[in-house]
Amino acid sequence: MKLKTSEYFIKEVATSLKRNNWMSLASIGTVTISLFILGMFLMIVVNLDRMASTLESQVQISVYLKDDISQKQSEELKEKLEAMQGIDSVAYISKEKAMERFQERLGDQKYLLDSLDSTNPLPNAYEITVKNPQMVKTASKEIEKLPGVDTAVYAQDVVEHLFDLTQLIRSIGLAIIIFMFGATIFIISNTIRLTVFARRKEIAIMKYVGATDWFIRWPFLLEGVVLGFIGGSVAIILLRLSYLALTQKIYDMMTFFPLIPLYPFLTYMTIAIIFSGIIIGALGSVISIKRYLKV
Amino acid sequence: MKSPNEINIIKMKDISMVYDNGAIALDKVNINITRGEFVFIVGTSGAGKSTFIKLLLREILPTSGLLVVNGYNINNMSTRELPYLRRSLGVIFQDYRLLPNKTVYENVAFAMRVIESPRRLILRSVNSVLDIVGLREKYKCFPSQLSGGEQQRVAIARAIVNNPSVIIADEPTGNLDPETSWEIMDIFQRINAVGTTIVMATHDKTIVDTMQKRVIAIENGRIIRDEASGGYGYET
Ligand SMILES: Nc1ncnc2c1ncn2[C@@H]1O[C@H](COP(=O)(O)OP(=O)(O)O)[C@@H](O)[C@H]1O
Ligand SMILES: [Mg+2]
Repeated sequence: MKLKTSEYFIKEVATSLKRNNWMSLASIGTVTISLFILGMFLMIVVNLDRMASTLESQVQISVYLKDDISQKQSEELKEKLEAMQGIDSVAYISKEKAMERFQERLGDQKYLLDSLDSTNPLPNAYEITVKNPQMVKTASKEIEKLPGVDTAVYAQDVVEHLFDLTQLIRSIGLAIIIFMFGATIFIISNTIRLTVFARRKEIAIMKYVGATDWFIRWPFLLEGVVLGFIGGSVAIILLRLSYLALTQKIYDMMTFFPLIPLYPFLTYMTIAIIFSGIIIGALGSVISIKRYLKV
Repeated sequence: MKSPNEINIIKMKDISMVYDNGAIALDKVNINITRGEFVFIVGTSGAGKSTFIKLLLREILPTSGLLVVNGYNINNMSTRELPYLRRSLGVIFQDYRLLPNKTVYENVAFAMRVIESPRRLILRSVNSVLDIVGLREKYKCFPSQLSGGEQQRVAIARAIVNNPSVIIADEPTGNLDPETSWEIMDIFQRINAVGTTIVMATHDKTIVDTMQKRVIAIENGRIIRDEASGGYGYET
């Protein structure tokens, strides 16, 4: 593109934005609102995702050992467990330790254990955490095949529900984001359609004298990009302010809440929102001009 | 696709145009127009003249038949080539189609600017074509400040400023009184004299009878007469 041509495009865009100032303002507002909602959803989804993974990572497998194995067999088993793929940590819980914990958990109802006459029916055990919670099921099946293992159990319901929940959040979030994107493109294309419609005769003349479609498209495309960029910038400013205020509130109430760290999350967010604004603006204008190029 | 040294600037072979609603606007038309000719397309309203013009501009695509304009095969060319076909044609309409918010100078310069001509060339060419149509003094006027004849002269200046080899005009004098019409025809004759082909659709009997140029008469989408030098042929 020649320099004087880009000059011409910039002048066209400035004129058009000035001429349609109210409509331009309205579409910037729409982009801002849409991207703000979109951003909010992104933040919620990302944080819920984070929470889910934190909970997931706390899911353990309890490996109960057979009563009749020796110290040596038990140690061999520990080595085998540690050598397994995807195992994060292996901790030994002796039957005495298990009983202690059990008593603690019972608290006031400790008397229930009196009938055991100081025999300890609890087995020795290993508590295992895995690197990827999706492996819990297969890992425990593997473990049960090892010699000296009685059973390997995990909180099956919790794990599976957690997977379902995060999956649901992701799907709903994605659906809403796609919908918002589509709606915003539609609204911006309607705004630019006004400019295009007001200038349809000019476009027809341009076609008759042999302007290329891209030459005709550029000013409208730029107009859309400018609208999208401004809308996205305002949205990200509002998003950052709201996010900082919200996280502050949450941390004030619950210190250990597993929120995603502010950086680089906010940086990625800024890039994503502004980029989305630009893409939405460009797509909106390309769609709105299509019909008028058929001369 | 393009063979610029072809002597037939327009070649129509068995061209038919049937609109979506079933209207047969052109029916197996065969025509050759060679470089430098001055051709009138005549016929009553609804005969198919505008359809003929639109086909030449590739505004519409023929239903069947072969059409070559300025070396471009209209049926087979890609849409990417369309701007270059259009640059080789200058088009003039009955309703002038000027941009009301641009001056005479800007309206003409617009045609050069949108095909990215160098600025110095634009200044020179626009002044020169405004001289040809006799509107050099009015270059600052807006279309609303001009008479119909003057507006059509601006449209002619715009059509010729990129040096097209063919001028295609659809009833250019349709909105003008007889005297003003002759001013327009005078300009056409001067443009034709320097070698530009002119194809003009009209139903103005006096003009056609007086000029004694090639006449192609269309009736109900068919060519009923093609004379090298003739008159309108029948009363309207
Ligand atoms: N866009 C269109 N859709 C359907 N029919 C059309 C269209 N344009 C023209 N026609 C029909 O085609 C015929 C020729 O029209 P046209 O080429 O405009 O004639 P002319 O210019 O000689 O008056 C007419 O019957 C007209 O009604
Ligand atoms: Mg007509």
